[in-house]
Amino acid sequence: MSDTSTATAERPSAVYTGGDERLAYRGIFQRLFIRPEIGAMIGVVGLWVFFWAVAIPFGTANGASNLIDFASSPLGIMAVAVSMLMVGGEFDLSAGAMTGAMGILVIMLSKAAGEFGGLGLTLWIAIPLSLVVALAIGWVNGFLVERTKLPSFTITLGTYYVLWGAKLGFSKLIVDQVQVGDIRDSDGHAFWVKIFASSWTRNDHVWGPRDTVYFVALMLAIALVVLAAFEMHFERRRSGAKAVGLPVFLAGLGGAVVGIVILHTTDGTSGNWLGAAVIAAGTIVTAIGLGTWRYEPIHGRGPVQFSGAVAKNVGIGLVGIALAIVIAWRMDAYNAEEFIFPFTKQGFRATLFIFFGGAGFVFLFIGQAAARRVNTTTRCVVNAALAASLVVLAFFVRWESKGDPTDPNSVGSVKFRTEAFSVMLGLALVIVAWTVLSLMFEERRAVDPQANKLGARMLMLAAVLTTVGMAVKLLFVVQRELDAGLAPATFSVRTLWFLGFTAVAVFVLGKTRFGSWTFAVGGNKEAARQVGVPAARTKTQLFMLVAGAAWLCGMLLAFRLNTIQANTGNGEEFDYIIAAVVGGTLLTGGYGTALGGALGAMIVSIATLGIPFSRWNSDWAKLFLGVILLLAMLANRSIRTKAEGMRR
Amino acid sequence: MAGHLLELDNISKYYGNIIALRDVSTYVNEGEVTCVLGDNGAGKSTFIKILSGVHQQTEGSIRINGEEVMFDSPRDALARGIATVYQDLAMVPLMSVWRNFFLGSEPTKGIGPLKWIDKGEAKRIAKAEMAKMGIDIRDTEQPVGTLSGGERQSVAIARAGYFGAKVLILDEPTSALGVKQSGVVLKRIVEARNQGLAVIFITHNPRHAYPVGNRFLILNRGHSMGSFAKEEISIDELTRLMAGGAELEALEHELQAAGAVSPGGGD
Repeated sequence: MSDTSTATAERPSAVYTGGDERLAYRGIFQRLFIRPEIGAMIGVVGLWVFFWAVAIPFGTANGASNLIDFASSPLGIMAVAVSMLMVGGEFDLSAGAMTGAMGILVIMLSKAAGEFGGLGLTLWIAIPLSLVVALAIGWVNGFLVERTKLPSFTITLGTYYVLWGAKLGFSKLIVDQVQVGDIRDSDGHAFWVKIFASSWTRNDHVWGPRDTVYFVALMLAIALVVLAAFEMHFERRRSGAKAVGLPVFLAGLGGAVVGIVILHTTDGTSGNWLGAAVIAAGTIVTAIGLGTWRYEPIHGRGPVQFSGAVAKNVGIGLVGIALAIVIAWRMDAYNAEEFIFPFTKQGFRATLFIFFGGAGFVFLFIGQAAARRVNTTTRCVVNAALAASLVVLAFFVRWESKGDPTDPNSVGSVKFRTEAFSVMLGLALVIVAWTVLSLMFEERRAVDPQANKLGARMLMLAAVLTTVGMAVKLLFVVQRELDAGLAPATFSVRTLWFLGFTAVAVFVLGKTRFGSWTFAVGGNKEAARQVGVPAARTKTQLFMLVAGAAWLCGMLLAFRLNTIQANTGNGEEFDYIIAAVVGGTLLTGGYGTALGGALGAMIVSIATLGIPFSRWNSDWAKLFLGVILLLAMLANRSIRTKAEGMRR
Repeated sequence: MAGHLLELDNISKYYGNIIALRDVSTYVNEGEVTCVLGDNGAGKSTFIKILSGVHQQTEGSIRINGEEVMFDSPRDALARGIATVYQDLAMVPLMSVWRNFFLGSEPTKGIGPLKWIDKGEAKRIAKAEMAKMGIDIRDTEQPVGTLSGGERQSVAIARAGYFGAKVLILDEPTSALGVKQSGVVLKRIVEARNQGLAVIFITHNPRHAYPVGNRFLILNRGHSMGSFAKEEISIDELTRLMAGGAELEALEHELQAAGAVSPGGGD
């Protein structure tokens, strides 16, 4: 790693006992990026931010609730189930048609006899019965695939057409219509509708402390992420913790908190600046204190050397960011009527801005990676350039948001820009703190399982806090917003089913024997069989799992829509597979996660809804969707190969 | 003769009118290595498949501790303590070392029917067992695909030993490896033997077989060329029998050249 030509860059080897000398130490980002779903997570955040900037609904609870509902069911639930099946190395093309089929089945089973020839069963029997039918179809899929050894692609294609035909045929035969309904007449509907279709209107639930909870949770989460990164990146003091640093750390922390309080209790500009300055100073002091307390001081950091690759990439990056600013400055920000290609003028401007700005930062990061190979000081200089670019962009975005206050359409974006301003400044501050620490303390060169464990726990806690903060913000309303005449947001129980299903799937795939076997049969079925994994049974159970998920989606559809069309769900199976692949699941099996499937569903949903929300020409929606999916998959691939450096 | 751990008596295997194996006999005991040598097409694969339960012999008998047995399936053979490490390694390259180590027999903990894998325990055992083999796996989370061929063989051997195998069958473990890696695997074979396992080592390289073997069974075109104890045969003799006496001059010449880099396996 270190440059052998400069003596200063040589470091005494860390506490590295044994191990395989051919295994290079992987840095913190490499270790984080190895998770298959990280690419999808970045995609979700990036896409959301992009549409937040150009489409008002993405910034509102109403829009968010619509989006989450759209992503939940059937897409989300099915994407998670299909991800598991694909990890197990199989496809199920009948999954889409199955969702509608199960909805139709439960209605037909429960309709009163006589009217249209239904069976008139109570829902208490019809619902479990339809589940049994679904599992049986899944079992048949699995059985046929295992018995014939044919690709599941062909077998389930057959099942797909069987289901498609059966749906239409039975609908015409029994009801003589292409739509089947109405489930509301069925016995037991009053109970089951609560399970499958209850909802929560946000405007009915005012909660004053909402913003405080949201803010504190998010701040804590950010602090935890930064601390975890420090913990996983820097080397522990070899001579044990140095207590002197602790009071400095605490004092800095206290200072930062005071700064935040000042920022939040004052309204004037000077108060804001004072708050921001106190936060910045406090953060830097905190970082230094933390370093003194826990980390090993640096041994030689080398002189600044702008080699070819570093200079080139940093230069291109800075030019890109400058171009983005010029474009945004010169183009019309409020013309949402005229079209340039698929975009409105406003959207076109935003797209160019994001493209050049994004490319600029990508090149800066490449430059940073190149500088990393030179020495610490050079890397810190590039980091400083990164932070400076962020600050400039932040001020530009804020200056811009002073735009056109008379245009009601610009309100959402203005809100976005003021929030973006503080986020970007915060990010710049984090980079500066990181840089300061990098200049003072030693980077880790060897695996330290203890520190990794601590860091992982902190990251987990940060994720929980973020989720809680976001949920509180989405679920509750404050008086101020009600007074402003906010559109009501409605959250349905479908979202809960989605989250619950995802949580169970994540647990099963990651922690249980069945999950281990799923990876094994997808990765190398013969090997799995040789060591005693019941491969055929595992695969059949996976098909049954997908069928069960399709049943769940069928119930959710039936109770939401009351009547189901005969073609409901046909063709959707490709969306599930796309969501799974975008979420980092390998098409060939053996690699992927359930969480990735859920995130992939979010990406597909944002890309699908983003166009109409932005009021762009929807003729081009599929093209846009295609480009986004391509980009997502390319990103996934490069992240995976980079992070693993794996022999395949 | 009844005391042998695993004994094969006049095993033959016909696929239709093709004679894959005819009248092959040998045996192996605890703490011994029996090497099965043969050139390509000699019947080595058929021999393993019969022993590991993939195929059943057409004639002849297999005895474990004097008791006659018939293996119906690989699971059946495994249950009787015969573990096979295949040439294609029986590993899932994308899965981590500890998951591969415990694949199919994961330790679980949990409440009632809700059971999950005891990850900490599994990792600890995998690491300890690999350490016994003399390999320090720093991070058992790393995918098996990132290990070298020799290390992968070692994982497979350690796994077989840990799960109570009495007889370990190794199918050409050194064929895909470099000189140094082959040496590593030969060392593992000796270690497994010293731990009391009976090892059947299948190879086409007499230079690998001779240093570790106690007994040598030589196959040529489906026929047994005889089963010899180490004292009864020299390495040159072994090579000649394997090649069926053909082109001996050239072979000897070649071997002398190769002898300079003979892997330092064994004890």
